[in-house]
Amino acid sequence: MRIVVCVKEVLDPDAVNNYAVAGRLEIGADGKTLTQTAIPRLMNGYDEQAIEAALRLRDAGAEFTLCVLSVGSDPDKLLKHAAALGAEELISIQVDPATLDPQATAKLLASQIQASGGAEVVFCGRQASDDDQGVVPVLIAEHLNMSVVTVAREIRLESDALTIIRATPEGDEIVRAACPAVVTITNELGEPRYPTASAKIKARRVKPTIVTPAELSLSAEEIAPKVLLKQQFVPEVQGNCEFLEGDAAQVAGQLLEKLRAEGTLQ
Amino acid sequence: MSQQPIVVCSFGEGRDGLPPGAEEVLHIGRNLAQACEAPLMWVILGPLPERASATAGLYGVQNLHQIDDAKLEANHTDAQVAALAAYGKAQTPQAILVHQTLEARTVAPRLAARLGGAVVMNGISISPIGQNFEITASAYGGDTRVIYEVGPKPVLAFIPNAVIPEPGSGSAIDAEPFAVDLSGVEERIEVLEPAHFDGPRLDDADIIVSGGRGLGSQDNYSLIEQLAEALGGIAGASRPLVDDGWVDSSHQVGLTGRITRPNLYVAIGISGASQHMAGCSAAKTIVAVNRDPEAAIFQHARFGIVGDALEIVPELIRAASAG
Ligand SMILES: Cc1cc2nc3c(=O)[nH]c(=O)nc-3n(C[C@H](O)[C@H](O)[C@H](O)COP(=O)(O)OP(=O)(O)OC[C@H]3O[C@@H](n4cnc5c(N)ncnc54)[C@H](O)[C@@H]3O)c2cc1C
Repeated sequence: MRIVVCVKEVLDPDAVNNYAVAGRLEIGADGKTLTQTAIPRLMNGYDEQAIEAALRLRDAGAEFTLCVLSVGSDPDKLLKHAAALGAEELISIQVDPATLDPQATAKLLASQIQASGGAEVVFCGRQASDDDQGVVPVLIAEHLNMSVVTVAREIRLESDALTIIRATPEGDEIVRAACPAVVTITNELGEPRYPTASAKIKARRVKPTIVTPAELSLSAEEIAPKVLLKQQFVPEVQGNCEFLEGDAAQVAGQLLEKLRAEGTLQ
Repeated sequence: MSQQPIVVCSFGEGRDGLPPGAEEVLHIGRNLAQACEAPLMWVILGPLPERASATAGLYGVQNLHQIDDAKLEANHTDAQVAALAAYGKAQTPQAILVHQTLEARTVAPRLAARLGGAVVMNGISISPIGQNFEITASAYGGDTRVIYEVGPKPVLAFIPNAVIPEPGSGSAIDAEPFAVDLSGVEERIEVLEPAHFDGPRLDDADIIVSGGRGLGSQDNYSLIEQLAEALGGIAGASRPLVDDGWVDSSHQVGLTGRITRPNLYVAIGISGASQHMAGCSAAKTIVAVNRDPEAAIFQHARFGIVGDALEIVPELIRAASAG
């Protein structure tokens, strides 16, 4: 059995948020790109949890080869981390992500999964924290003719089917999907583990296979972006907070009075 | 040849006689159709919601289509995609617009792939540019906005509360059935236990009191529930509380939780990260209680109280109960 996890490198969303809150998030001269070079790049959080989902299946006794796959220009750090966590196969599709859209990315990932031996299960994060689009996993499923189950927080693998608890806005839903399937992972899965120091050293021996789009026999048209980023900007937040002063009972009384006076409360 | 239509697509019965988010997307669809000088069509999957015909009239819909089939149950996304792909091939719309639900997040990309068009999620507004469209969407959890240009035949999903719908006037129109053959579709996902939620919903709530990590411990969450009750509202939470299992995922407000638009949103011990604000910034009045005067939540709040939640909230409960 082979399980593939797709991972993406993103700007640390907390750092982006901190810059935004401080009013210092800036867009470069191209009108599209965040200029803060100090913002660390890291693995998309949900993708880390997607690796964790695979590792938990392994903890539960499932036997499979774990392949971690990334599209990007420099995914070395990400793939090393994956190897230290227990991935036996690393694949890097080398392409400048700025030339892609989610559909082209999904085409590349799906083709590479197929070309490298297929997968019984593909795990992905539910969405990337940079563009928040979340369409790549669904499109991988569509291209590979697999079923897709989103927002999984717990997964059991029984021979050739998955039982999955989905964390939906309506609460938990339990579904069953035959393999092969694409499963997207949500934060409710819980904390991903960290690799040990010795695993990190051993992981240096696992070398990524480097693939270029040309090797995937996809036509230029198939990986031409249909969604073009033209502009990015930072929306304004209007700040007119009235701070209430006094001891706890006083501020509570003032607040209720103001809300009632405004008609917000009856 | 007349202009190809703009299609609004809705699924589910909703709770108020309309599919979720239908009016918002009809509002966006009507404006886009006008800008493109194209007809507006509305297609509904499943049983016809009570207010569909009247609402279609109010938003200038020219054709209201209903695709009904036993296979089109909630969450049956294989059947939904197949039905909409058949519909899309027959109507050849310029663009298909949907309200972004969890289900739509699965259907929209697959539909786009089958129709050969682009797909964009998290849309806020849209306008035509030549044969293409320009769509403004949210990114980085709301820290930025992006403007994408997409080619013809896209499937575009709009976030809840992107617009406040303004119905026009117009008389009801009858739904026309649109027949599709789903006999070959076999649903690949089997639902063993559906999610069911019967309590009052955050997305319908007029008043929400949410707690965050600043509460310190799970036990203190009961303060949030008590304050919500005293104010006649319901209790929500930031993501860390869901991650730590203090409350279940139906309580989560934010980008990946509930997108709400209450009259009053009270945030207790919540820092105001963009991904949280994505679910409550449409609130009319935001009140924040936070120990840190520099917390981002105060940039969004109308009223702020700097202090310890464990001291302030009991007083708020008292003051609210006294009223
Ligand atoms: C892709 C992505 C999606 C996400 N989706 C969501 C989402 O849907 N919803 C969501 O909420 N988050 C989401 N997040 C997480 C989000 O970025 C924040 O991490 C989260 O909202 C923080 O929750 P918090 O404010 O409760 O905790 P913290 O950020 O830790 O803030 C706690 C606050 O409590 C205050 N405090 C501490 N003690 C007290 C006290 N005694 N009294 C009063 N105040 C006190 C502190 O000053 C602080 O401001 C997402 C993140 C990512 C990357």
